[in-house]
Amino acid sequence: MEGSRIRDEKGIIPIFGVYLSLFFVQYYNRLSFDFERRLGEERQAEAEAYLIQAAQECGYATFHGLLNSWEWENLVKPMIEKEEDKLLGFTAVALAAGWGDLSIRSLIPGEKLVVYVNESYEATGYLQSHGRAGSGKCFMLRGVTGAFMDVLYGEDYPDGCFTFLAEEPLCRAKGDVHCEFEVHKKS
Amino acid sequence: MYLDLRSALVREGNRVTFFGLPIALHCHHYNINLQKTAEDILGAEGIELLFRAAEEASYMGFKAIMGWYDRIKTIKSKLELAASVYQNCGLGVIHFQQIDPKKGRVVSTSSYHVTGWLAKHGIRSTPGCHFSRGWIAGVLEVIYDRPIGYFAVNERACKMMRKEKCIFEVKER
Repeated sequence: MEGSRIRDEKGIIPIFGVYLSLFFVQYYNRLSFDFERRLGEERQAEAEAYLIQAAQECGYATFHGLLNSWEWENLVKPMIEKEEDKLLGFTAVALAAGWGDLSIRSLIPGEKLVVYVNESYEATGYLQSHGRAGSGKCFMLRGVTGAFMDVLYGEDYPDGCFTFLAEEPLCRAKGDVHCEFEVHKKS
Repeated sequence: MYLDLRSALVREGNRVTFFGLPIALHCHHYNINLQKTAEDILGAEGIELLFRAAEEASYMGFKAIMGWYDRIKTIKSKLELAASVYQNCGLGVIHFQQIDPKKGRVVSTSSYHVTGWLAKHGIRSTPGCHFSRGWIAGVLEVIYDRPIGYFAVNERACKMMRKEKCIFEVKER
């Protein structure tokens, strides 16, 4: 947040090929959950798809930009021993961005990824404002975890976006102990 | 006004907080995708939702910020603080002009949402700074000790329409 001439002059933060902003999670939760509620039960799958896609495109662009940044090349890449180590870099960035404590549980390269999250702001926010949910509410993280696989195993940028899709079989908003994301290639 | 935001941006366990409240960094793809989705699917209701969500979060957030800077007493200083927060959060540059407890004019010469929208979708035919309208309403409601929903903010000119700057008109509802 310091040392940026553009931020100083224009209040814009260009980094990793995207523009970043910082705001309270209450805004994102209000927007997402109200949007879902207004579409109603009959259109719940549609609402989820919109919210997941919004985040997956963001994650795809951001992490692609990150992988091609000076910072990655000089600070992270020297620590990378295998392709899958990149995921650890991604989860560290997600934590720093306030998205939650993502931990990689299992990976079948090119096929399947399982991620656990203990403190998703989406699950926490839903519980606080709506009580227990009947289905998973971490749409942003479904998009982001899908984007992880898109970046690593999808076609070359920008064609790899939405190659993979994440489901959320466990969610703290439903009363589960943690949130779990399973990412598979779209059939 | 010099603002040491570093001391307010803190990692608390697995959360990142700003003045004690959980925050997230997101890119323009996510924010603009959410906006376009809300507009396209819900229409005017979606625009109102974007405004309200920003207003409520801005209100709650700026109230917390004022708690940290309780020695700031004058309206002018509070408006300067708000503008500094806006800029340092990567939202753009905003100038409060001719502001009083009932009405005002706010001008933005640089905007995150404008930059993001133009990068993704090009020029609009209608004003698009719904987030900023809500953000303005929220901070003014804190500064003038009014309840959420007190101020209406309309956008009279928008850089998303290739106007020179965004101009917001504030008035009581």
